Amino acid sequence: MAKVIVKDLHKSYADNEVLKGLNLEVQDNEVVCMIGPSGSGKSTFLRCLNDLEVPTEGQVVISGYDLSDKGTNINLVRENIGMVFQHFNLFPHLSVLQNITLAPTQLKKSSQEDAEKMARDLLATVGLSDKADAMPKSLSGGQKQRVAIARALAMHPKIMLFDEPTSALDPEMVGDVLDVMKKLAADGMTMIVVTHEMGFAKEVADRVVFMADGQIQESGKPDEIFNHPQSPRLQDFLDKVINV
Amino acid sequence: MKKWQVEVVMLLAALGSWFVVGTRAQAKTYTIATDTTFAPFEFQAKGGTYKGIDIDILKAISKREHFTYQLKAISFGAAVQQLSADQVDGVIAGMNITPERKQTFDFSNPYYTSGVVMAVAKGSKIKSFSDLKGKTVALKTGTAAATYAKTLQSKYGFKIKYFNDSNNMYNDVKVGNSDACFEDYPVMSYGIKNGIALKIVSKQYAAGDYGFAVKKGKNAELLKKFNAGLKEIKADGTYKKIVDKYLHSSESSLTGETASSRTFVGLFTQNLGTIGSGLWMTLELTVISIILATILGLALGVLGVMPGKIGPAISSTIIYIFRGMPLMVLAFFIYIGFPDLIGHGFKIPAFVAGMITLMLNEGAYTGAFVKGGFAAVDDGQMEAARSLGLPYWKAMRKVIMPQGIRIMIPSFINQFIITLKDTSILSVIGIVELTQTGTLIIARNFEGFKIWLMIAIIYLIIITLLTWLSNWVQRRIN
Ligand SMILES: Nc1ncnc2c1ncn2[C@@H]1O[C@H](COP(=O)(O)OP(=O)(O)OP(=O)(O)O)[C@@H](O)[C@H]1O
Ligand SMILES: [Mg+2]
Repeated sequence: MAKVIVKDLHKSYADNEVLKGLNLEVQDNEVVCMIGPSGSGKSTFLRCLNDLEVPTEGQVVISGYDLSDKGTNINLVRENIGMVFQHFNLFPHLSVLQNITLAPTQLKKSSQEDAEKMARDLLATVGLSDKADAMPKSLSGGQKQRVAIARALAMHPKIMLFDEPTSALDPEMVGDVLDVMKKLAADGMTMIVVTHEMGFAKEVADRVVFMADGQIQESGKPDEIFNHPQSPRLQDFLDKVINV
Repeated sequence: MKKWQVEVVMLLAALGSWFVVGTRAQAKTYTIATDTTFAPFEFQAKGGTYKGIDIDILKAISKREHFTYQLKAISFGAAVQQLSADQVDGVIAGMNITPERKQTFDFSNPYYTSGVVMAVAKGSKIKSFSDLKGKTVALKTGTAAATYAKTLQSKYGFKIKYFNDSNNMYNDVKVGNSDACFEDYPVMSYGIKNGIALKIVSKQYAAGDYGFAVKKGKNAELLKKFNAGLKEIKADGTYKKIVDKYLHSSESSLTGETASSRTFVGLFTQNLGTIGSGLWMTLELTVISIILATILGLALGVLGVMPGKIGPAISSTIIYIFRGMPLMVLAFFIYIGFPDLIGHGFKIPAFVAGMITLMLNEGAYTGAFVKGGFAAVDDGQMEAARSLGLPYWKAMRKVIMPQGIRIMIPSFINQFIITLKDTSILSVIGIVELTQTGTLIIARNFEGFKIWLMIAIIYLIIITLLTWLSNWVQRRIN
């Protein structure tokens, strides 16, 4: 069964319908990139996948757990989905190491000792071995985002969600973060990435989804989307993005 | 985590036992209330014990009639209120027997007869009631003198200003804010003999009888004993000895203070014990109230930022009520109003009532800034914590609270200082804390300026220490 199944997803804020019936399936090990104009509902969609937003209508099934089912323990589902935010959201009162070990130790996934060992391994993977005892405010944006990725990975998630992870970064930092994400993809992580980095989408994505006006307008292999766009909406969007 | 839970349980247990002890102790012995500053009938002598005609008469009678009692010195107004609310068994406080009071109280046979006089500042030109036109008259609330002066008001056309204790009233006349005051003759003449710069300019009017009072229909046995004892001490000469002792001697020989002790330092060392115990009470109240108010405030703050509508609504309502109510009203409500509502002789010790008052009031203020502090933490923090699978309360405790509390530290320090100062308001329900100590000392030696300066300096010293401590804690946390 697919890792992520979304059926006829609707989301409204008061009278404003932001998501107008989305359908999507993501398979194991698949990397899906979502692109689309600002305000089209990409973040909202992503947040519906781990219940940070509650859909108005429709169904979301993650690794077999139906989120709309009252009996589903949402905290258990969230342990299986890591999320990385545009603004990192590191915990400023905790050191880098504590940021990473907080959830595994609090949720009794591992002992303090094991969690710290794992945290150091993860920091090595994202290239920040020397920053274990630093406080978040002393890190650059790119370093913060890599810590945030390590923090999410510490729960051993089966799926990772990225919401414009490089949008808040200085251009010279973007590469480091994208490299970490490429490594993750190569290791077989199931990923949904909202991004404006078309180069990353072309290179890494198994599938690219174009969203506009609260709906999926087009989806397909990177080559189909970027080189043979079908709808005028997508052509228009690509023109704008590439001309920037 | 476990440790603070244990502490809370212990604190609650201590509170509970206070209630029980407080209620039981009063069931066995009579609780008799008196005024704090009504020399020569009652006043505090050096070392904090009470002396005076009323006190000695009561003591002599209790010996003859074999009953035990606990003396409770509070303001006259509070004593009368507490008697009518069944919080005390009797009142002996130079209380005039009036038809009005007989509606609510049963009185003993009269034990003293006194009249009301008018007194003015030493250099004043006022000689009679007719000189009072357009002037201000100082009165003490709830006294027979006040009632009498009120009957003169329309005829002589003066303004009235009320005070809660005699010394502030005298002082107001002395410094010229008011032009005259009305007071019971023995009280006034005793004060003047002991250095109050006033003079009596009228003869005695509206002579009235002082009586010992119990609540109407209650404590008939106590009243019977009082009357019987009074008859005995009048017959055997004890009564006359007591009255003479107070009306024909000067204050210093009664309070044990020497004239040389009237310097600032002298006053301080003389009254060290009294001030020390007042200070201790203030500190005790402050510390316990700060702890309780902080717990309540944190609870209200957490409730206030909870998802959904019910938690925030409850939090806002509680904050609204207890922040909006003046501390003094709240204190009276809890100490006098609440037991009155429950009935069945339910009593709250003044200390416990004071603590609850401060907890609710300061807790409401604390709740408001705690809520604000939590709300000031970026929403992304909660989302990040939740997306890691942390349940709401864990996320709150491990992520939101540590950050929020850091934001709140200056507000906490501020609130601690306010709590310390607010304890002084609790003197209205008879808690003898630092401020009340000052009132009591002045009541016997009339050294208003020096004593208030002393008290003010002590407050400033504690507040300075508290600020240092808080700043040190703040530096440690950051
Ligand atoms: N909590 C909310 N309350 C009301 N409206 C919201 C809320 N969150 C999002 N919206 C609205 O939903 C729409 C979609 O927002 P969303 O953040 O999902 O867009 P996006 O595609 O991620 O845009 P961007 O590329 O700028 O991040 C916007 O019009 C936004 O104003
Ligand atoms: Mg977005």
